[in-house]
Amino acid sequence: MTSGAPTGLSTTRGDLRRNFWRGVWRVLRRKPSRLLGVALMLMFVVMATAGPMLYQRPLPRDPDNFFAPPSLQHPFGTDFQGVDVLSLVVVGSRYVLLTAFITAVITVVLGTGIGLFAGFRRGRLDAVLMRITDINLTIPGLPILLVLSTVWQFASPWEMGLVLGLLGWGALARAVRSQTLSLRERGFIEAARGLGLSTPHIVFRELLPPIAPYIAMNLLMSLILAVWAQVGLFFLGVMPVIGENWGVMLNRAVFDFGAMTTAARLPYMLAPLLALLLLTVAIVLVVDAMDEVFNPRLREE
Amino acid sequence: MKGFARRLAGQLARGLVMVWVVLTFTFVIISIMPGDPVRAEYENLLQQGYSPEQAEAQAAMLHRFRPTGSVFEQYVDYVGSLLRFDLGQSLYSRVDVATVLADAAKWTVIPVLLGTVLSFGLGVVVGVYAAIKRSSKLGDMLTMSGSLLRGIPDFVVGLLLASIFATLWPILPRQGAVNILYEPWTVEYVLSLGYHAILPVATYTISAYGGFILAMKSSVVTVLGDDFILAAELRGMKRSIIFRYIARNAILPLFTVFALSVAAVFSGAIFIERIFNYPGLGMLLIDSIGRRDITVMAGALLLITVAVIIANIVADLFYSVIDPRIRRAGDRV
Repeated sequence: MTSGAPTGLSTTRGDLRRNFWRGVWRVLRRKPSRLLGVALMLMFVVMATAGPMLYQRPLPRDPDNFFAPPSLQHPFGTDFQGVDVLSLVVVGSRYVLLTAFITAVITVVLGTGIGLFAGFRRGRLDAVLMRITDINLTIPGLPILLVLSTVWQFASPWEMGLVLGLLGWGALARAVRSQTLSLRERGFIEAARGLGLSTPHIVFRELLPPIAPYIAMNLLMSLILAVWAQVGLFFLGVMPVIGENWGVMLNRAVFDFGAMTTAARLPYMLAPLLALLLLTVAIVLVVDAMDEVFNPRLREE
Repeated sequence: MKGFARRLAGQLARGLVMVWVVLTFTFVIISIMPGDPVRAEYENLLQQGYSPEQAEAQAAMLHRFRPTGSVFEQYVDYVGSLLRFDLGQSLYSRVDVATVLADAAKWTVIPVLLGTVLSFGLGVVVGVYAAIKRSSKLGDMLTMSGSLLRGIPDFVVGLLLASIFATLWPILPRQGAVNILYEPWTVEYVLSLGYHAILPVATYTISAYGGFILAMKSSVVTVLGDDFILAAELRGMKRSIIFRYIARNAILPLFTVFALSVAAVFSGAIFIERIFNYPGLGMLLIDSIGRRDITVMAGALLLITVAVIIANIVADLFYSVIDPRIRRAGDRV
């Protein structure tokens, strides 16, 4: 009897995991759009990791074909040097996705850390942290970034991601704090405290798991924000228009190559824009699916 | 009322701290800028034959701090001059920065407010409809349109509008704020103003619309579940009157959304003005960065942040005035 208990426990845990994945599959299958979202997401990840390796550098030029219209050979035409626009999009995806990923990670780590700490500790430190969060939330990031770009060029995805992450953690910190505040008064936390469990244990093993789904969704949403923020920054053309990046493509298309004055050059602008929109749609669809996975109340039977 | 005053004072104090943070940030940026533009200006003046005192005074008038002072002295001068509302002079045009900013501000403030008000009206009407018809296909689609538009950033909306209405089907102007050939304030001038404002204002309207429709929908859904609506229905009141009850109660939280939306659109205006070459504050900020006109850059940054901070304060105050629970809680303090 006694020896049966541990195996019984482990099978329940295995069952739980299997049930979870079965639930995920059921949620995905109910709306085909969600499957599409996951597929798109995978496509972008492959594009960013393996895509740049498919092309030789510098990108092959087609000297007879400047600003070629879309054709089978060049689905989105060519640019001012005869470089295939599609290859530019593929190559540019790495900077965009890597930056977005770094930003999201920094946002989540800072936001969760500060929110948990402030909510759990409360008191004076909480007040100070929340004032800082207020400042972070209120001061508009874009003009600050523009001015910052006069002394810092954000050449690598790491620098860009770091800055965007440092500017964007406020909303998550506030939300995590308010959830922590309400959770810490609940019975199971009180029980954990009564058992004399250590603070790290209470924070990371008891408090964090119920908030984790929310944080995961926030990670995805901050991916979207980071993608648009960096692309927008390069699009404005305040920073040097160099490198392989969708924002740089947009900037060139609109302000240098007259994509807005000559209809024939529109594809050069539409290609990165389309990629951006698809990426946004993919993330939104995945968030929609995750929302239902983690929120059983939303499941319409 | 005492609670309100207290809240206002607290918000203002917070706002001032934020302004100070931005000020310090700009000062640091200017100090570490490559090539030390203030020092360069000073040396340039010396070479032009100014005496050291004259050159120093001239550079100080432009930048509001002495090129030869210590960093701490410069910082004190810099903050001090702002307390006197002295923003220095443009390095590019030698015009007072305050004048440059005032010229640009009207091209941002009026279209942004116009766009947000239009969007507010549209979002409220569609939001009520989406809430009442929320179980039908149309209601679902309206909500989806809101989520979708909220996910698309303003500059993409601007680019798409520009490529449709100025490139593929060229019926609207894409550049500038007015046809400069017209004399100010003739009929043609005013018409041209309106004509040029269509695309930027439409962009502001569309990019703010998503937030309004979603907020209004969720607010109406909450009110629909309230007891007083059920009571009104049971008393057999006319649908139009019940509708008025719903709208009046549901619209209150929207004023907070409105103020926050103004703040968002205001900083988003940087993109829209760049796309449509519209001579507002955002364009001024970009141009001044491009020309390394650091006094104007600092001024534009400050003005944009102050506008956003004020909109946030207004949002918070709306929130406290509208929700009696918060108001009373404040009074008791």
